[in-house]
Order: sequence, then structure tokens, then C-alpha cells
Amino acid sequence: MTAPSTLDRLSSWLHRHSGVRLAGLLSAPLLWLFVAYLGSLAVLFVSALWTVNSFTGDLVREPTFANFRTILTEEVYRTVTLRSLGVAAAVTVIDVLIALPMAFFMAKVASPRGRRLLVIAILTPLWASYLVKAYAWRVMLANGGPVDWLFGGAGNGPGYGLTATVLVLSYLWLPYMILPIYAGLERLPDSLLEASADLGGRGGRTFRSVVLPMIVPSVIAGSIFTFSLSLGDYITVQIVGGKTQLIGNLVYANIGAANNLPFSAALATIPVLIMVIYLVAVRRSGALEEL
Amino acid sequence: MSEPAIRLTGLRKSFDAVEAVAGIDLDIADGEFFSMLGPSGSGKTTVLRMIAGFELPTAGTVTLAGRDVTRLAPFDRDVNTVFQDYALFPHMTVQQNVEYGLRVRKVARAERRERAAAALRTVRLEGYGERRPSALSGGQRQRVALARALVNRPAVLLLDEPFGALDLKLREEMQVELKAIQREVGITFVFVTHDQQEALTMSDRVAVFNQGRIEQVDTPAEVYERPGTPFVAGFVGTSNLFEGETAHAVLGREGVFSVRPEKIRLGGAPASAEEISAAGQVVEVIYAGAATRFVVDLDAGPRVVAMQQNHQTSPADVAALRGKPIRLTWRAEHVVAVPVSPR
Amino acid sequence: MRTIRVFTALAAAGLLALTGCGDGGGATGGSGPGGIKPPKIDKLASLGAGEGQVNVVAWAGYVENGSTDPKVDWVSGFEKETGCKVNVKVAGTSDEMVTLMKTGDYDVVSASGDASLRLIYGGEVAPVNTDLVANYKDVFDGLKLKQWNSVDGVSYGIPHGRGANVLMYRTDKVTPAPTSWSAVFDANSPYKGKVTAYDSPIYIADAALYLMKHQPDLGIKNPYALDEKQFAAAVDLLKKQNEQIGEYWSDYTKEVQAFKSGNSVVGTAWQVIVNLAKADGAPVEAILPEEGATGWSDTWMISAKAKHPNCGYLWMNHIIDPEANAAVAEWFGEAPANKLSCAKTADKNHCATFHAADEAYFDKVWFWSTPVEQCLDGRTDVKCKDYSAWTQAWTTIKG
Repeated sequence: MTAPSTLDRLSSWLHRHSGVRLAGLLSAPLLWLFVAYLGSLAVLFVSALWTVNSFTGDLVREPTFANFRTILTEEVYRTVTLRSLGVAAAVTVIDVLIALPMAFFMAKVASPRGRRLLVIAILTPLWASYLVKAYAWRVMLANGGPVDWLFGGAGNGPGYGLTATVLVLSYLWLPYMILPIYAGLERLPDSLLEASADLGGRGGRTFRSVVLPMIVPSVIAGSIFTFSLSLGDYITVQIVGGKTQLIGNLVYANIGAANNLPFSAALATIPVLIMVIYLVAVRRSGALEEL
Repeated sequence: MSEPAIRLTGLRKSFDAVEAVAGIDLDIADGEFFSMLGPSGSGKTTVLRMIAGFELPTAGTVTLAGRDVTRLAPFDRDVNTVFQDYALFPHMTVQQNVEYGLRVRKVARAERRERAAAALRTVRLEGYGERRPSALSGGQRQRVALARALVNRPAVLLLDEPFGALDLKLREEMQVELKAIQREVGITFVFVTHDQQEALTMSDRVAVFNQGRIEQVDTPAEVYERPGTPFVAGFVGTSNLFEGETAHAVLGREGVFSVRPEKIRLGGAPASAEEISAAGQVVEVIYAGAATRFVVDLDAGPRVVAMQQNHQTSPADVAALRGKPIRLTWRAEHVVAVPVSPR
Repeated sequence: MRTIRVFTALAAAGLLALTGCGDGGGATGGSGPGGIKPPKIDKLASLGAGEGQVNVVAWAGYVENGSTDPKVDWVSGFEKETGCKVNVKVAGTSDEMVTLMKTGDYDVVSASGDASLRLIYGGEVAPVNTDLVANYKDVFDGLKLKQWNSVDGVSYGIPHGRGANVLMYRTDKVTPAPTSWSAVFDANSPYKGKVTAYDSPIYIADAALYLMKHQPDLGIKNPYALDEKQFAAAVDLLKKQNEQIGEYWSDYTKEVQAFKSGNSVVGTAWQVIVNLAKADGAPVEAILPEEGATGWSDTWMISAKAKHPNCGYLWMNHIIDPEANAAVAEWFGEAPANKLSCAKTADKNHCATFHAADEAYFDKVWFWSTPVEQCLDGRTDVKCKDYSAWTQAWTTIKG
């Protein structure tokens, strides 16, 4: 009998030591999670404590809260933060209002074939470039463009500005709201709707008392997408926002134009912080299980 | 005579090309416990859903207590349904589930409480009001569904295979209970099931469905003892059917005839005016606890099943009969002529 | 492309600060008040045979070999003629250019105003022996030996081209035609909501330029050298302007579309934008207002560590060759550096349109420089606001 090869011995050793086997399997993804993902977040927070020497342009790696002090004391950052929050909230509310009936139609009314087509129709815009869609909206919202025409003539529409930003962001993120709600509604048994009707509940009543409470987690799951995506956006607002600026613009301007990465990092912690608060708040609702 | 609780006239329903219900005329009396029995796909559930208002008939009318409700929505009909999957609202407590119908109809809070409590008492679930449906067993959920429907005091209660998900023991208990509740509340129950035993034990009358039509409507005893069609004879209980040549050879008569297995005795005297007798060979002996089933190939041709209560015999005794020749005897009055077309 | 480069080119406040450039926009270069001198690097004494290739760092659109558009090609001929194969690396930002040049792998670079000085003081580029660049003699004098391409009278580069930020307006909507930047700074503008401005902190200089003429008591000598009080005045003016603004632009296609649709009717623009808008059928005109304007100027420089210096020189000579310079100026939309180019442009009006030979025009132009703490106008008694302060103020202005 020949002696087992090193490889054979290794594989049988691994078989006996399942812990090592598991570690071997998971090390790559865990490395990714901790180094690439959490690591970069950590770097963000640490670099927010640094400053830039305005004379040499070099990073000064001495911890200071100067950046945060600026953000907290300068009124403009408060204004922009509140505006960004307002935009994110408005986009979320609009998307919920549009997505609810659309998802309901898809999940409960449309035929199985129509349902498939609708899902594709909703996913298709996601394949198109974000920029192309934003520019298309710029043309639609232009003076004398289709949107103006809808409002009855040149200059009657919203033009470029905060309203346009909310409108276009709502359009861009709508699929991210429809899909979780659709998934939630698909899981809602038809018999519950029939039971409600059977017990005397008309459409509105059934929706309020049965459908809505049951898909709240789905709505919240969708809102996490629409809210965080809106909070981080800086391109749409540049294209259709007129002179509006949101947190994302400030972050971008400080990296791009001012070469002030630490200040950008400090600004970027604002949306991170808001999302953490938001996620903690919705954790109880069970919405995180819908993701 | 007063109006029937439910009257179905020329009721039809097609899904695309498939005709699920192919023309039904039926009267169900007030206070009756009425069962719709049939294999799956026979159209019984569709008929129930048309009575409830979940499906619109392709043709025909549904009349509830003299009022044509064919085109009315479920919430405009004085009927309530107990669903096969119970359809309890998972985000509401038992109490809220039961009160739902009353709340929708804007019944005052105090009355709601009282009636819900009474309904829960009826189904023996007092003290469960604050629980969520997910914290209840299958039988308990079933009762909550029942209470939720009954609390509205509908003229008609529709039950769509309500015991389908329960195990046999619980199912038998619930059958007894449901019958008791029906007697207590005195309203019309329309009960859909594919379980002939269930239909026979509980119902005042049974309608046997097959391929979108009713084959027979009668009392359980009549349906069992006098099957209206070969299908009924075969679907409700087990039947030995004799037709054509075998009918001639064994019974000496022309037509289609049914003899129930439990009416056939093993052994016995040769044929007389009152008794029919046939020789054959035991092919299989199946022990079934309280009784034993014998599968016998008659010399005259057909294969029949005979059933014998295990009064005195032991499993070993009966098993020994396998492969042996045997004589079977049954009374002439137990040979039931089965009409070939529905009555 | 312009967008990114202007945005980020200006980021390089640091090294420029070392220079402490003390002179105004039109003045020649000189060593800074700190006395810092660029490292001593010898310029090439004589031209040898080509090395067979040259590695170029350039802005998109500056080195076209026909792959973008078959008709746009000023590289293939050069390669055939000199035997120098051109390997181009397109850079998106001035920072990227500086980083690339630090590797020593590249021979020549098309640097913008700020990157150029960082490269000079960082010792990345060598002085240019202009005697070896035959076409240099034909470069407009207004571009030679400027603050951004020379130190102490030593030339560090070959001018490529220049342009001004002009005042564009819709002829059908804006009457009478404007003559002054008041059109965009007037607090009671009849064009409220249709005024546009360039979306970059450097636009503060436009306000400073306006104040330089309209509020002489502020004592602004150079729009890129603003002390506390001057800076506050400029920011204040821009905050008032913000109420009139419809949108800020940083993308020239966006600007063209806004003027065409009428979302914007008056505001700052580049000549190339004016041309594109006209070509698109928009009824627009542009002027250099009476106050003057801000603008830009680019320079070709050669690496101190160039491995292919001869081909590098040949390239620098080629790119300001009348024909090549005409082609690149037309393709990019700017004024060529070589005065003979004007005869070679496909559009015979190109030089007139872009005011190539119009020194009086460019005298009024303050080319972009990076604001630093040491005032660029030579004052030593005050500290000026640096570019990071400009950036933060820009955020506040937009609100």
C-alpha cells in the first residue's frame, strides 16, 4: 500500500476539522465585509476628524472636531440638511402613494401574464442609465417643454428647482418602492381580501384595515431605498434642481473642487447618521426582514 | 311555504374555456344543514363562491330569501363564509377578528364586545380574545373563523371545506360541534366537502356534484341507500355495481344495480326468493380494524367487495380465507336499481 | 470635460501658495515673497534625433488622431513626419495630471493655470528652450512669459490657447442688449429666475471683478486676491444674485439646452457654448462686458525626467504649428496661441469669433488663478482668502 499523498491527508484532515473548513470558505467574503466595506466606513469617520492644510493641500492627521463644529455652527449646513431630509421624505411619500395602487394592481388584479409584463415594464427603466433618464427629464421640464404644456403653456410648469428635483427623484426611485410592496402583496392571501368583503368591508375599508397594516413592513422596506437614495443624490439635483443644493452636492463640491476630503467625510456622516437613526427606528416594524 | 333561503336558477360559470359549473337549479330551505359533496373540480366550491359573491355567474341567478343578489358584491349579501384556510387577519387579535364584521357595520362598542364574547363562548374559546391567530392551534383557528362569521348573525353561513386541514380526530370532534352549533343558532348552513362521511354525518340534505352538475339531491340516507346515478353509487361509500351481462348472470335482471359491501354476507344458503347467492373465490382480505373487507371474484364474472364486522372472528381466521372458494349471500331488497341518467 | 478640469484644477491651492506669486493677471512671473525658487533644472540645449515615441498627458480633445472623428486628426501626420509615435493619456483633472507627471513616465503635459505652477515648483517640468520651438515666435505676445507659464523670465511652457468667460444673452428676451455684468448682478433684474451663473467657487472672482469696477472704495486690485472685507462684499453680492438665479451651470451641454429652451436668458458662458447654442438655433449673442471678464489659458510643458525629450519638443512645436493649432482650437472652441493659425482655420471667422488676435480683448480678461493666503496682488499687510474658504463660501452662497 502506498502512503497517502499530502493532498489526501490535507483533505481528510479538513474533513475532521469542520471549523477550519468553514473558516476557509468564509474568509474571502468576511475579508470583503470587514476590510472593504466596514473598513471604508471606518476610514470615513476617522478622516472626518482630520483637516487639510490650506497652504500645502496636505492632510493634517491630527484629530479635531473642527469640521463638525463648522457643520453645526454654520447655518447653511443646517438649511441644506433639512432641505435634503425634506426632499427624501417627500420623494418617499410620493413613491408610496404611486406604488401602492400600482403594486396592488400588479399583485391582485392583473392576469399572471400581465403581471409578468408589468414587472418587466417596471424593471426596464432600471437598465437605462440614470444620467440619461435625468437628462430626459431636463428636456421634459424645460421652458415650453412637455411638462409646461401639461400645465397649459410655457413657463407654467415647475421649471427647474426643488419641485423638479422631488419629481425626478420620485420617478427614478419608484421601482425600488413598487417591488417590495408588490412582493408583500403577493404574499398576502386573496382569501383575506375576500374575508374582509364577506364581513361587509368595502374596498376602502379592506385596504385600510387589512391590506395596509399587512404591507407596512414592505412599505418601510421600500422607503429605506427611496429615502437613502434620495438623501445621497447629487446628480439629479445638478441636472434639474436649478440652484438647489443638497448634502450630496456639498460632499461632491468639497471633494472635487476644494480638495477637502476631511470636510467631505464630515458632511457625509450626516446622511449616514440619519439613515442609522431611521434604520433603528424601523427595526421593530420587522421591515428589515423584508429586505 | 315561505321563500327558500337560497335559490339557484340555471347557474353557470366558465373560466376561459372551462365550464366549472354547468347549469344548476337548487333550493335550500331556511334553517337547513345542506352539504355540497363532490370530488375536487366538480364545481361545488365555485357554486359556494357564487352564493358568497366572490364570483359572478356566467349565467343564471342567485336568490337569497327571495332577493336577487346575483350581481351584488359580497358586502351587500346577508351571508358569511368560513374559509378553507380560515383567512383570519394575522395582524389582529382574536377579539378584533371576531369584531371585524360588527365594526365595519358600525355596531356600538359595547354591543360589539358582548356579541363577540357570546360568539367566542359558542365556539368554546372564552378567554382567547387577546391572542393572535398565530398563537392558536388549527382547531382553535377554525373556531375563531366560525365565531367571526356567526357573530354577524347572517341568514346563511357558507363553509368551504372548513375541516380540510384538521387531523381526523379533531375533525370528527368539530363535525359534532358544528352540528350542535347549527342546531343552536338555527340558521342555514351550506357546507362544501369532498368527504362523503362528513357530508352524511352532518347534513339534513346532500347534493352530490360531478363535473359541474348535481347528480342527486336527497337526505344522506336516501343518497346512500338509493344512489340516483352510478356516479353517486360509486362516490358515496363503496358500491358493487352490476350492469349488463353481469347483472343478468348474477341477479337475473336487466339494468344497473348496486349492492353495498356491508349488505353481503359470507356463506349462507343457496338462492331463494328473498335471498340472492353467488359463488366465487377470495382474492384479497383486507383487515380494517372494526371490519374486514373481502375482495371476491364471482364465478359469474364480476369482482365484488364484501364487508364483515369483526364480531367473533380473529384476524388470523379471516386471513386464512384468502384463495379459498366462497359463497356470498345478500337479500334481494338490498339490490338497488340505479337509474342511468339523473333523476 | 471643461467642467471637471476647472472644478478640480483649482483644487491645487497648496503648491501654488509656495510660489507666492505677487503679480496681477497681466504681469510677468517672478519669484514669490517667500523667496522660494523652482529647482534648478537645465533646459534642453539642442535638438537631437527623435526617439521614436512620445508619451503625452493631455485634456480630452487636445490630442486627436482621427479615432474620435476621422476628420479630426492632427496626430497621424506628425507621427509620419517625425517618426515619433504619440501615446496619449487623457487626464480628467489637474490633480491627476500632476500625479501622472510625478511618475516620470510621461514627456509632455497640457497643464492648466494652477497645475503648471505646481509642476514648476515641484521640479516635475523643465524650462523650455523656446529657441528649439520654431513656431514659438508666432505665438501671440499676450501669451508669452506669463505668471502661469514662466518664473523670473524663464519660460516653462508653450502656450496652447485661451478663452474668456463671456456674457451670453437671448437677443429676443433681453432688451436692451446688455453691456455690463450688471445684467446678472442687478438686484432688481427683470430676468429674475432666468439668470444663470457658473457653478464653481471660482465664480466669486466674477463678482470681485464687478466690484472692482463698481465699488472702487473696496480697493480690489486682483479678483483672485480678496481680503476679508473684499471677500465678504463679493459673497454678499452673490447671495443677492442667488435670488435672481434660475440655475447654476457646470456642464456646457446643460447650458446650451437651458438657453435654447429659454430657461436661462442671461448669464456667463464660454465662446464655445455661444457657438453651440447658435448652431442649435438659439437666438443668442455674447459680449465681453465693459468691466472685463475672467478666463483660462493652457500651456504645454516638458517633463524634467523626459525619456523622449526630442520627440517632446517636436510635439510642442507641432501642436502650435499653424495648422495643428488651428485644428485643435476649432475642435475645442478656443482662441489659438499661434497668430498664423488664424489663416488656417476651416471657419475663416474662427479667430475673430474667439478674439484670438484681440489683445485689447484679452487685456480685459483675468485668467483663472488659484486664490491663496498670500495675496496675489502683492499685499503683505493682509491675508487673503484661500480657495478652501472660497469653496465653503460658495456653499453658503447657494444656500
